[in-house]
Amino acid sequence: MSPSGEAMLELQGVHKRFGELHVLRGIDLEVPRGSVVCVIGPSGSGKSTLLRCVNLLEPPDEGRILLEGKEITGEGLRDGVNFVRRRVGMVFQEFNLFPHRTAHDNVALAQQKVLDRGGTEARDKARGLMERVGLADKVDEYPDRLSGGQQQRVAIARALAMDPHVMLFDEVTSALDPELIKEVLDVMRQLAEEGMTMVVVTHEMGFARDVGDRVAFMDDGIVLEQGTPREVLDEPKNERTKRFLGLVLER
Amino acid sequence: MDFIIEYYFDFGLMFDEFDRVIDGFWFTIKLSVLGGVLSLLWGLVLAVLRQLPGRALAPVRGLVIAYIDVFRGIPLLLVLFIVSGALSAFSAPSQQIIPREIGIPEWFGQSAPFWYGIISLTITYGAYMAEVYRAGIEAVPRGQMEAARSLGMSHGQSMRHVVVPQAVRTVIPPLLNDFIALMKDTSLVSVIGLIEVVQAGRDVQSEFFNGSALVLGALLFLAVTIPLARLVDRLISGQQARFQRAQASPA
Repeated sequence: MSPSGEAMLELQGVHKRFGELHVLRGIDLEVPRGSVVCVIGPSGSGKSTLLRCVNLLEPPDEGRILLEGKEITGEGLRDGVNFVRRRVGMVFQEFNLFPHRTAHDNVALAQQKVLDRGGTEARDKARGLMERVGLADKVDEYPDRLSGGQQQRVAIARALAMDPHVMLFDEVTSALDPELIKEVLDVMRQLAEEGMTMVVVTHEMGFARDVGDRVAFMDDGIVLEQGTPREVLDEPKNERTKRFLGLVLER
Repeated sequence: MDFIIEYYFDFGLMFDEFDRVIDGFWFTIKLSVLGGVLSLLWGLVLAVLRQLPGRALAPVRGLVIAYIDVFRGIPLLLVLFIVSGALSAFSAPSQQIIPREIGIPEWFGQSAPFWYGIISLTITYGAYMAEVYRAGIEAVPRGQMEAARSLGMSHGQSMRHVVVPQAVRTVIPPLLNDFIALMKDTSLVSVIGLIEVVQAGRDVQSEFFNGSALVLGALLFLAVTIPLARLVDRLISGQQARFQRAQASPA
């Protein structure tokens, strides 16, 4: 384990309840700077809620979250929201592109409104990012003219436009047709190679194995097991991890 | 039979009294357009206030809900009497609770009953239209707001640039329907002394014992409302076609 000063993101005993439903039951997780942590586990285990707690779309009920050493929960929550949203980018399962705006405007809008970037600067940045995700020829298209894979790549470009320090990926390939998954994973792989800190909730075990520095297995609101991909995916110690991997790899 | 035709379709009388009826109709148009535009704006303000987030703003939301409940629940006729009665009484020389220029408004060369009508229409139809906007805002998927917030946009920015533009597009047809209803309700302003098209028709009727001016007024109404109704139909079928295309295209 790296010393905590090196951690980009640190979760300590995080709990989240929705009414009677106790979704997160004490999550401890550390994400070192520049690393890729893949979170796997069955549906309903709290993986998405975990990500939504990290960027404070759902503030945790208990526990602490530290981003770059600064606590963003509890006392820190008040100005934590802005601190987090400027540093953490998120990509969603359902893309959530703005349908009334072109791909370019999707990538440029928040730059202009949040970072006060001028039109030219935001446009150059948007074009650069669209090129980076391989969609230079689609800048002026509306989202409904793009395939799911293309839409998701625009969504990645849109999040990158805010110069995030950490990127959260919430099952970003789960809504895609199989032949479109690779183009999205390739963009993420490239991002990881460039040194982006990433937390990736995924069912793509191949991606977790190849790209993940660490893998965390979640079930029923807790992290049951974490370690290198080899440790967790090939030699799981926990019975539930074994059963889950058995079911997934059987497919 | 001849009597009926003579009583309602005396084209000579329609021609002779055309100026009087059209003068009344001009008031109907002015009330409709100004009242309609103000209702559209006021309704949007109410709808956006109703969506303000957080516990601290619950009183604002409560006030807006109470306002909408009250003015959707009482007749426009009553609002007209209350507004005109209250404003003129409170600005009477013996009272002087509000300045005379506001109590008996004669702005832009229009009479006080005209402005009482505008105020009452805006109060009442603002409440109706707020409900239409609300339906539109709530129909925008949650993910849109979340995506905007995750990019660092404030609640207000997210509403202004992402949610409201999408909501307004979907509710244009029902808003136009409300506008048609508003236009017909402008005839109620005659009860506080404004000679709009219906009152003009009644004046002619009582003078000549002939209802043809009323029929002329009806025809003038239809000349506006039928094209509007067709426009609503076209917008709706266009929306349905777009929706079906969106459903048909693969994710």
